[in-house]
Amino acid sequence: MSVTVRLPRVLTQVVGIGPKHDADGHNLGEVLDDLFAREPSLKSHLLDEEGRIRPHILVFVDATRAGIDSPVGPHSEVQVLQAVSGG
Amino acid sequence: MRRIVIGTEKGAYLLSASGASWTVEGPMFPGWKVTAFGQAPDGRHLAAVGSNWFGVGVHASQDWTNWSQMESAPSWPENQGRKMDQIWAFHTDGDRLWAGVADAGLFTSDDGAMTWNPVEGLNEHRTRADWHPGFGGLCAHRILMSGEQIWVGISAVGVFRSDDAGATWDAKNHGVPPVDAADNAAPPEVGYCVHGLSQDPDHPEKLWRQDHQGVFRTVDAGDHWERIENGLPAGFGFVMWRHPGSGRLLTLPLSSDENRVPVDGMLRAYVSDDEGDTWEIAGRGWPDAPQFTGTLRGAFDGDSDGQFCFGTTGGKLWVTGDGAETWEELQPAFPRIAAVRIIE
Repeated sequence: MSVTVRLPRVLTQVVGIGPKHDADGHNLGEVLDDLFAREPSLKSHLLDEEGRIRPHILVFVDATRAGIDSPVGPHSEVQVLQAVSGG
Repeated sequence: MRRIVIGTEKGAYLLSASGASWTVEGPMFPGWKVTAFGQAPDGRHLAAVGSNWFGVGVHASQDWTNWSQMESAPSWPENQGRKMDQIWAFHTDGDRLWAGVADAGLFTSDDGAMTWNPVEGLNEHRTRADWHPGFGGLCAHRILMSGEQIWVGISAVGVFRSDDAGATWDAKNHGVPPVDAADNAAPPEVGYCVHGLSQDPDHPEKLWRQDHQGVFRTVDAGDHWERIENGLPAGFGFVMWRHPGSGRLLTLPLSSDENRVPVDGMLRAYVSDDEGDTWEIAGRGWPDAPQFTGTLRGAFDGDSDGQFCFGTTGGKLWVTGDGAETWEELQPAFPRIAAVRIIE
């Protein structure tokens, strides 16, 4: 069951990876773990010290805001967005 | 001075001199804060980056231009309630790499920044419950070493010294007023806000300190500090730098805690050639027009050839190539400058 994960450009161009990735999992946490297994440096950028999604990041699964335990269906699309803020 | 790299609020930039003009490459790490530069034991250059959204990262490069992110960065364990807010400093000692971070702590890496280990003796110090952040956060921003002795500067906690290579630590702030000085109260063990720290490597018991509360020196490795502000327009500031060859000291005074710009806008570095007994304006080239801008603690660098440079919170870069006698403001303007490193 492969889903598509789309990451924001401000993150991917500094980490040095592409903006679109395939990953597997039945919920968002599993999908992210699968992604982190291949791109380990992403983990600390998306999750905080307690393993939660960082406070200024929103993750959507099929256009619905999602948490770590949110289910992910076959062919879902996961979109990671950062807050629009700063000077 | 031929090449300088600067870390700003919005990326890093590489400046190269060609005759009297400078070319600028960048931004590298666009959109990210670049907070410190260092060198891995294998010689690779390191950059610490941070993002308000995505936390911190460590990148390595052979040429200051092409960077790759290391798989891991210093991080606090789960369930400690601490946040890895920023990497403030690197220090290389043989095969060991040290990092000073906020929330305040030290981490070491023995595999070239691949993995990091917390320095428990400092990070879990018995006074930790009394560590509180200042305006710049709760950060370990300066690391100095001589043999088994290590000094670390932590805002707004104070200077700590280890005499056993980092196993145990003691606060060393006697003679410096705490940030919140209560009348007739006994000096607390922590609660001091060291901003800058520099050392004589040939006489490591001699250190100089730009503190929230003024400028100080010690001749006994930090056991006692004395105030040394003769000739300075103000005691506040962030920079303290000692030239390794001449012993010349440099600092950049700012008006006060409440008003962190040069006194009357007169941006000038100050030097001391007598170990801090007296201070005077460093050379010439300073603007007559007021410059209401500050300089952060990491935004100053010098080399053994007498080249110095510093960046301002207004995004300008000042350089000198003759031991701080003649200063020049470079024309390019950048975002707020947090880190400066002379490359060559």
